[in-house]
Amino acid sequence: MDEIIEILEDLRPGVDYATCTTLIDDRYLDSLAIVALVAELEDAFDISIPAVEVVRENFNSVQAMHKMVTRLADEF
Amino acid sequence: MTSYFSFAFMGVLLPLTILAYALMPRRARWAVLLGASYVFFWAISGKLIVFVVASSLLTYACGLGLSALLARRRAYVAQGMPRKEAKRRTARWMKLVVVAGVLGNFGILVVLKYLAFFSGAATSLLALVGISARIEVPSWGVPIGISFYTLMAVSYLVDVYRGTTKADRNPVRVALFLCFFPQIMEGPICRYEQTAQSLWAGNPVTRQNLFAGTLRILWGVAKKIIVADRLNLFVKPVFSDWQSYDGSVIALAAILYTVQLYCDFSGTMDVALGMGRIFGVTLPENFRQPFFSRTASEFWKRWHITLGAWFRDYVYYPVSLSAPMKRLTKGSRKVFGNRYGPLVASSGALFCVWLGNGLWHGAGSQYLFFGMYYFVLILLGGFLEPVMQRVSDRTGLNRDAVPYRAFQMLRTLVVIFVGELIFRAEGLRAGLGMLSSIAHSFRPESFVDGTVLGVGMDVHDYAVVCAFVLVMLCVGIARERGMDVSGWVGARALPIRWVVWMALVVAIVVLGAYGKGYVPLDPIYANF
Repeated sequence: MDEIIEILEDLRPGVDYATCTTLIDDRYLDSLAIVALVAELEDAFDISIPAVEVVRENFNSVQAMHKMVTRLADEF
Repeated sequence: MTSYFSFAFMGVLLPLTILAYALMPRRARWAVLLGASYVFFWAISGKLIVFVVASSLLTYACGLGLSALLARRRAYVAQGMPRKEAKRRTARWMKLVVVAGVLGNFGILVVLKYLAFFSGAATSLLALVGISARIEVPSWGVPIGISFYTLMAVSYLVDVYRGTTKADRNPVRVALFLCFFPQIMEGPICRYEQTAQSLWAGNPVTRQNLFAGTLRILWGVAKKIIVADRLNLFVKPVFSDWQSYDGSVIALAAILYTVQLYCDFSGTMDVALGMGRIFGVTLPENFRQPFFSRTASEFWKRWHITLGAWFRDYVYYPVSLSAPMKRLTKGSRKVFGNRYGPLVASSGALFCVWLGNGLWHGAGSQYLFFGMYYFVLILLGGFLEPVMQRVSDRTGLNRDAVPYRAFQMLRTLVVIFVGELIFRAEGLRAGLGMLSSIAHSFRPESFVDGTVLGVGMDVHDYAVVCAFVLVMLCVGIARERGMDVSGWVGARALPIRWVVWMALVVAIVVLGAYGKGYVPLDPIYANF
């Protein structure tokens, strides 16, 4: 999870990523940030994130992202 | 019957459908909805109904094909085959089926709606290289709602392909999902998971849903008949014969057309959502106070929401997250940084979205220009945002302060008015000519010397429009502050609920722009 927070801090600083659970709902992450974030997560965790995974539920919090990354890494 | 706003629909088909639906045993209520949907479709588009049936069958068959291939993939895995290998073995066939379904649906749309435009463009191109040939294409007409149900069919197929929706084994349910009469004319563009099951469930007509649904329908009818139809008296002559008017009249026409379009489209959505509510079907909202937007990008998240969401999910993300675009994003981030890098890479996906959005509205140069207008503005907004952030950091400007927000809203309104002027103009040349008139022959005295009042609407018409727009503004502000206005009305005591309900009926009867001197406006989005 720390690695994801690091990526997010680098991408869009100034948000309390450890506790925020409304990153999409409250528009902390827009579609541009999501596109960059997907590329970074793929590199960092050696996974492939298809467009179908880009839904609010998978990106609203760091926990949700971690869950998705873990699942995709297992599938891969 | 021409639309939801005809007597034949509101006075006959809708009440009869509600009655038949309520009397029918629960397990057979879908038949009433499907029957009413096909009667409505037939009444407006006649024999063209064959195309919606063809789209439904194609979508159903391709969904089943995808489902069979997914089952085969799961069987491979169950037999011990590595997941990756199982995926590889079925991937090509799955792609083939989904592409066939998507191309089949879009093919029908292109042939019926765009063939004349493309043949005209081809004729012009040939003329440019000195070949004088006229390409004649057959014209069958355009069935109602084809642009809406085609997008719904494609979303269903892509969702089944992605594995986020299960293919339906019932062809009638797929057909009902695509042509449910409240949504067929102007949307909202629903996803299968949102409506298919509740359409089939035969939910009872409860007193609460009947009240809330009819209240929402009345609110929509009021917007349409009191404001949109009345504004047609001014908008239509100015746009048809813009050379006869000075820039100030044209500028007012652009503003009033925007109000008209909003009242027409969001009013039709209120009617659609209200009808859905009566049958216990929750259709997705298509508007969220769009004129409170602070940027063009935000406007499109509040206006025609389901179209924007469709383009986001089925064009923007698939394009920007394709392998070459991901590589481009990574590379451009290294060169241009976190903010500009993704923007540079995403501009290709944004271009596809806005080209598609423009074309979806129609096969005219003004619609293509409309799409490109928003593409440039949204891209520009993305590039300027970091600059504005830096300026506000250095100057201590509070970007959330009321005056700055008001400035942003006003600026966005101007952007919207210009966009809608181009959108409504009778061709791109006319649109650009009208903009030029606003810039070069703006006569403020036209507002007071009787010029404006000489075009279609009198003082009484303006007073009615202003009064109703004020009511809409109050409702909009309440909703913007998080208040559920219809829920609030629904929770009041019975006499208060009836007063609100009757007030809307009286307003429509007394203030509606119908009868002698008025020509009702055909629902604008029904033509897209």
